[in-house]
Amino acid sequence: MSWPQLNRRLHLYLALSLLPWFLVYGFSSLFFAHPSAGQRLYNDGVPTWTLRFERPFNDPAPDGGGGALKALGKKIMETCGLEGSFGAYRHSPTQVNVYVYTFWKSTEVKYFLDRKLLRVEDRRFRWDQFLTGMHARGGFDQDGFLDDLWAVLVDVVCLGFLTWITTGIIMWWQVKHTRMWGWAALGAGAGLFSAFLTWL
Amino acid sequence: MISRLLRRTHMYLALFLTPWVLMYTLSTIAMNHHGFFRELYGDGPPAFEKENELIWNGSFSDGASRGARARAILASAGLEGAFGIEKGEPGKLVILRQDPVHPRRMTYTQADGRLVIEKQIFRTNAFLEGMHRRRGFHHDYLADDGWAVTVDLFVAAMVFWGLSGLWMWWEMKATRKWGVVAALGGLALFAFFLVTL
Repeated sequence: MSWPQLNRRLHLYLALSLLPWFLVYGFSSLFFAHPSAGQRLYNDGVPTWTLRFERPFNDPAPDGGGGALKALGKKIMETCGLEGSFGAYRHSPTQVNVYVYTFWKSTEVKYFLDRKLLRVEDRRFRWDQFLTGMHARGGFDQDGFLDDLWAVLVDVVCLGFLTWITTGIIMWWQVKHTRMWGWAALGAGAGLFSAFLTWL
Repeated sequence: MISRLLRRTHMYLALFLTPWVLMYTLSTIAMNHHGFFRELYGDGPPAFEKENELIWNGSFSDGASRGARARAILASAGLEGAFGIEKGEPGKLVILRQDPVHPRRMTYTQADGRLVIEKQIFRTNAFLEGMHRRRGFHHDYLADDGWAVTVDLFVAAMVFWGLSGLWMWWEMKATRKWGVVAALGGLALFAFFLVTL
């Protein structure tokens, strides 16, 4: 197999392998850019959150965020019998929120420090949030092996994008009669992007 | 004819949007490795350092909203553009100017007309993340609407690259067998994560 052919095959097979991620990132970006589109799709009066249960809880909350808050979040999840990827943040001086999520389901626990109460609520399923949730998922902050593996795949997709740029530019350069318009497209894009850095 | 048109559009669109592809890719890597940057720089956003302090002599019309006041201050300082307003102490207006390269915080104290302008220290990961999250038509500035159009173009291009790529692959009969293997392999892995995560 010649070098140009190898370059083409790499571009093609990599794209076919990573196509599901590519399309998810593409379609979900639409809902990030136009959040009202998702709101309009589900403007049917059904509440976003449904109460599952409430229960008493009394544990001091750390002043700062980070690891201490995450440890409290884990304890709250154990108390509520919840499992999965999660994050914790201080919503207000008297409230800590813990959100637990999978691709298909999201649950939020509100810990009201002043009332010593936990409220567990489930979010209704929405396709726009399913896509944006998948888009935003990443990082190596979770304890689970599969979460780390997903984050590795996010890196792989990024490497895929860099590879498509490289192999794509090589393919363009090999088709000599497209060079002039190719330079024009590349230059116009780079120029416009640079201009936005100044205008914005 | 259609095939040639698809190939050329696929390629020229990719060449034009190369800076956006690079920015979204590098910013995704930075966000995916948030922990690394947290260890490097510590928690929280980059710090602000004082750039200028002056007495602002402008005036607001009676009953001007906080947004209108912020716009007037930004215009007089030559820093017009997308901004947010931070909740601050009474009598103070804290404007966060969302400049992509050098975000600024401007604190205006109504009592003495003092205006403190602070510039955020540049960090590559914060810059990339800021660009990645920038979108939408909710700002009043034309440049931001222009950027939002490019974001929409990029979204459309991603879907187009995917679909036109499938078309081009199917036209090359010699690559169909291994293409199906690659596509099914990726699909199976993706489905596995859909079920387990």
